[in-house]
Amino acid sequence: MTNVRTSSKAGGDTRLVEKRTVDMQIIGDWVEPNTRVLDLGCGAGALLDYLVQTKQVSATGVDLEFGNITACVRRGLSAYQGDMMEFMRAFPDKHFDRVICSRTVHELDDPTAVILEALRVGRSLTVGFVNHGFWKNRLNMLFLGRKIRNEVYLTEWFESRPANPVTIADFEHFCVAKGIAITRWAHLAGNWRDPCRTAPNLFAGYALYDLAR
Amino acid sequence: MPENLDLEQAVRSLSGRPLPGDVGVVQPRDFVHQQPFTFKSGQVIPGFTLRYETYGTLNATRDNAVLICHALSGDHHCAGWHSTEDRKPGWWNNLIGPGKAVDTDRFHVICANVLGGCQGSTGPSSLNPATGTPYGTSFPFVTIHDMVRAQKLLLDHLGVLQLHAVIGGSMGGMQAQLFAIEYPQFVRRVIAMATTARESAQAIAFNEVGRQAIMQDPAWNRGNYSKDGGPRVGLAIARMMAHITYVSDASMDRKFGRRKKDSAHADAYTFEPQFEVEGYLRYQGQSFINRFDANSYLYITRALDQFDLAQAHGSLEAAYAAVEAETLIVGFTSDWLFPPDQNRALALALLRAGKRASYAELDTDLGHDSFLLESEELYTLVRGFLDRGQSYVFDYSI
Repeated sequence: MTNVRTSSKAGGDTRLVEKRTVDMQIIGDWVEPNTRVLDLGCGAGALLDYLVQTKQVSATGVDLEFGNITACVRRGLSAYQGDMMEFMRAFPDKHFDRVICSRTVHELDDPTAVILEALRVGRSLTVGFVNHGFWKNRLNMLFLGRKIRNEVYLTEWFESRPANPVTIADFEHFCVAKGIAITRWAHLAGNWRDPCRTAPNLFAGYALYDLAR
Repeated sequence: MPENLDLEQAVRSLSGRPLPGDVGVVQPRDFVHQQPFTFKSGQVIPGFTLRYETYGTLNATRDNAVLICHALSGDHHCAGWHSTEDRKPGWWNNLIGPGKAVDTDRFHVICANVLGGCQGSTGPSSLNPATGTPYGTSFPFVTIHDMVRAQKLLLDHLGVLQLHAVIGGSMGGMQAQLFAIEYPQFVRRVIAMATTARESAQAIAFNEVGRQAIMQDPAWNRGNYSKDGGPRVGLAIARMMAHITYVSDASMDRKFGRRKKDSAHADAYTFEPQFEVEGYLRYQGQSFINRFDANSYLYITRALDQFDLAQAHGSLEAAYAAVEAETLIVGFTSDWLFPPDQNRALALALLRAGKRASYAELDTDLGHDSFLLESEELYTLVRGFLDRGQSYVFDYSI
């Protein structure tokens, strides 16, 4: 089972909320109005809600948590509680115009299977992730030799779920290896606001990719 | 739950007033439809009665009605009390009432005993006006579709222009789905819990054992029996077996385990009830025969078995093609009669058909009857779904 959880319980951290909204705005720019959007690991539905408000999309979310489904339902979204792979298998090719996988790839048991399945049910796939290759993360490991803890990595090692951190270089290599076309990308600096144009694998804190197949 | 009820009942008897959040003492009413009604089978009856209850007030625009659909052995009495002496309130009293998830301060809640039933609505135990004797097995075969059509006539009679929601569990969930399919513009929201688009072979098999228990009882007499007679043994056995399918291994183990009845210590080598679970099932069977008609049990289980949305429309997606309502499907992990997979299938088909649908799953160990559970999580979900599209606050928080 592909276990996907979201960082909904971290909602109290205002810096994280700010960062979240930056992420939402970029995805919002990429989404075409009045299209059919699927959010894998939708959490409480903040992103989908934003896309409904700004782009009038037809929104569906998938999440494992009952509480998140309740939050989505209250927001007027369609939400499905269950495993994202089982969900996607129930749909014909290209049923969705866009599938979004925002900050979930590092928690997937089998990222390849999920990404390929998302590219089957969706015309395009947007993936957003925290760049683990960010220089501060590298220095942290070099000098402190401990699991990173900051506003992105909130928990101690012993409070954390298993994760599969990914870097920009890893992800782009993956796309080449699997023959996936990158149609658009955004690399954001450490503040997750300003664009990062130089050596993104070292200087970008957050990365967004639009994929197609 | 029983302990709480006794306390509630005691408080009510002392004060003679409804408790907060309680609709209080309610009166059932009868809707008499005096025109011929043609069943899906083609058979016709000259008219019918539906017994129903309402709570809350229909608004000026006549669109705040919430229809509650009951399950196989349920009835129209879904909330409140028939008298201050009642030991139990209506079957969904925990969900429905002032300030509750289905808020009777806001909604006009309606619940009717189904056509073919035996709690006041026309069914096989009703008198056939042509003969002056009970219909018995000459009563037309009833389908879920017929139940829904009859309730729509009631809603028209009550002046309901549009349903804010139709809500049901189990067989009630089948009716709720069908309402949205048959009357797309009439239904704005559907909540279907612990239900299915068609029963599995296992569910049909259990129903068949129940029917055989009734029909093999000589007192069934091919459906011709007097009001106080009938296949009491067969009906009680049917209920005992069915009751097992409504709960779960875990919940029975928690409730009874292998505990022995107090009177069972003397001799282990008898067939008298020794385990508490035996006594409990016998009690379930006995109390059922005092309130339920055996022929109604045959008819309604048959209606359950024949319900098959995919077959009726070619596919489940085709069945849902006309739906305009938003749907919320709720499954329960321990429900092995209408398991989560069958509930998920409804939401997935609705989404494939391009409809607005959600699926939520509650982790419970109470089996099929979980939809009657006292659960704040379930209440919050239902309340949120019924509220949506009302006052809306855009919330950025994660």
